[in-house]
Amino acid sequence: MRTPWKIIAALGCSFLAAVFVAHGTQAQQKAVKAAATDSVGMSLRVAAAPSRAEALLDPMAADWTSIPAQRVALNRTPRLYDTEAPSELEIPFVDVRLARTAGKLLVQMTWRDPTQDAPEIAKLPSAPAEGRPNKELTEATDRFSDSAAVMYPTRPVEKGQWPSLQMGDPANPVSIYFWNASRGAARMQAEGRGTTRRTGETFPARAVYRDQAWHVAMELADVPPGTPLAFAIWNGSQQDRDGRKYFTSWMKLE
Amino acid sequence: MSHHQYAMVMDLNKCLGCQTCTIACKKLWTDRDGTQHMYWNNVETRPGIGYPRQWDQIGGGWKDGQLQPSRQPTLEDYGAPWEFDYEQRLYEGKGKPVMPSPDPVSGPNWDEDVGALNGDENFYFYLPRICNHCTNPACLAACPRQAIYKRTEDGIVVLDQERCEGYRYCVAACPYKKIYFNEITGKSEKCIFCYPRLEKGEVNACAAQCPGRLRFVGLLDDPGSAVHKLVYVYKAALPLFPEKGTEPNVFYVPPFNPPKRTNYGKSILEDPRLPLDYLIYLFGPAVKDVIVRLEAELTRAQNGGISELLQLLIGRDAETRYQVRPQLVQIQAGNGRPL
Repeated sequence: MRTPWKIIAALGCSFLAAVFVAHGTQAQQKAVKAAATDSVGMSLRVAAAPSRAEALLDPMAADWTSIPAQRVALNRTPRLYDTEAPSELEIPFVDVRLARTAGKLLVQMTWRDPTQDAPEIAKLPSAPAEGRPNKELTEATDRFSDSAAVMYPTRPVEKGQWPSLQMGDPANPVSIYFWNASRGAARMQAEGRGTTRRTGETFPARAVYRDQAWHVAMELADVPPGTPLAFAIWNGSQQDRDGRKYFTSWMKLE
Repeated sequence: MSHHQYAMVMDLNKCLGCQTCTIACKKLWTDRDGTQHMYWNNVETRPGIGYPRQWDQIGGGWKDGQLQPSRQPTLEDYGAPWEFDYEQRLYEGKGKPVMPSPDPVSGPNWDEDVGALNGDENFYFYLPRICNHCTNPACLAACPRQAIYKRTEDGIVVLDQERCEGYRYCVAACPYKKIYFNEITGKSEKCIFCYPRLEKGEVNACAAQCPGRLRFVGLLDDPGSAVHKLVYVYKAALPLFPEKGTEPNVFYVPPFNPPKRTNYGKSILEDPRLPLDYLIYLFGPAVKDVIVRLEAELTRAQNGGISELLQLLIGRDAETRYQVRPQLVQIQAGNGRPL
């Protein structure tokens, strides 16, 4: 395993780059984009798992324990507005395990989060509300749920040019597998900040909250070696949503 | 910048606090899943805690070009509807009268008619509130997904349910707390100024149902509209909390503010029943000039003269109060201009 400090230092650069993209000029953005090549970042090992994808969808399955965890440092996005409460780095890292089996990429993410934010929320009934005497009720207006996501470029990367870490860019769209502790799994696409849209598809994902930690397993479509992946985590009790989150840099899949 | 701007003027001297507008809106727009705490139109007693609770103290709006911080209102701030303990009382033989259960601690219109004391006299008035469809909406600026937009053709501010991801930056940013989160859909919602009705030439449901006939609706830029006359010609209507910087397009004719009972005949500014400071808090310092203007018009009418302003404020028929112009709005919108 690599020294975490080296990783943290490398990711620190990416973090600063992200800050510049948020606040910098076009020239700065170009400079940052040029820097976002595969010369930066770590690579991720993928185990060839003998077990079926279905078994590995259990994040606590014994099969996962034989696959070494890769500890990835998390960054915290800067505040969107000066008026927002400061966001503390309460979750410093996520442990990632990857396995390829039967044409699927299985991802297991584990991170410590002392607050489980996974309220059960009633689903919107399919029958129209009109004429139905009992409606589902909003139980809270100020709570947010824990979430996690994996992002990768929608199209094969050309000449090592990776998409912007901020939800891709118009020339390099990204695909996102998004899991929410209350609302389940949803696939998304994006081509830059504020452009995220749901595709309407879902994907297999299971989560277990145990001993103050989340263990989430997701089944992704087969992602070819060399593809960069990035991970994100949202902490509901920190009112995380949108770009208010923890994120990793791009890491190349081995 | 929109080509036209629909606006509403509400004459607070005529509001009965009957909540007919509230129910008209509720039945039409928020009788759905997840909307039980939403009143796109509400009427609150002033002075009072308001709805959601203490909304005027929570935060939001603009200051020096910056959005201001605000916490998210809780469900308790909105005041969820409560049930009654019918089971215990009717079937379990408990002898007490039927009571709300669990014991409610807040609700919309929680402090109805409580008001406050000015010296030894109680005072209060009703404040009906909808989304202000601001010219400089803080909600729109706060949304990172461009889910909120101001309709170019008529200035109505709407929230695209397809784009919304329920982040609630808009809820915090609105200084009037007129955007509501629906937990069942996972998206936020707001007053749409009844635009589907306006497009058919019908006035907003809250205005149409108002027994007090206190609402005036029209295009602010239409010189023939009552709202234009009340805001720009007679300068008798003011926005709520103008210092929040959002430039509301809902305006209020402030209470005439008569003198206290014991001072009949005195000028309303000599010994006002409502403390002027409170009206200045709500409507800014310009409210004093408006009250002086209204008093002068009243004096003229009482002396046998004709006050065009008071005649307009009486607004006997719908034609006087409402100038809905779907043709004008549509012609402009379909005129090849960018929407």
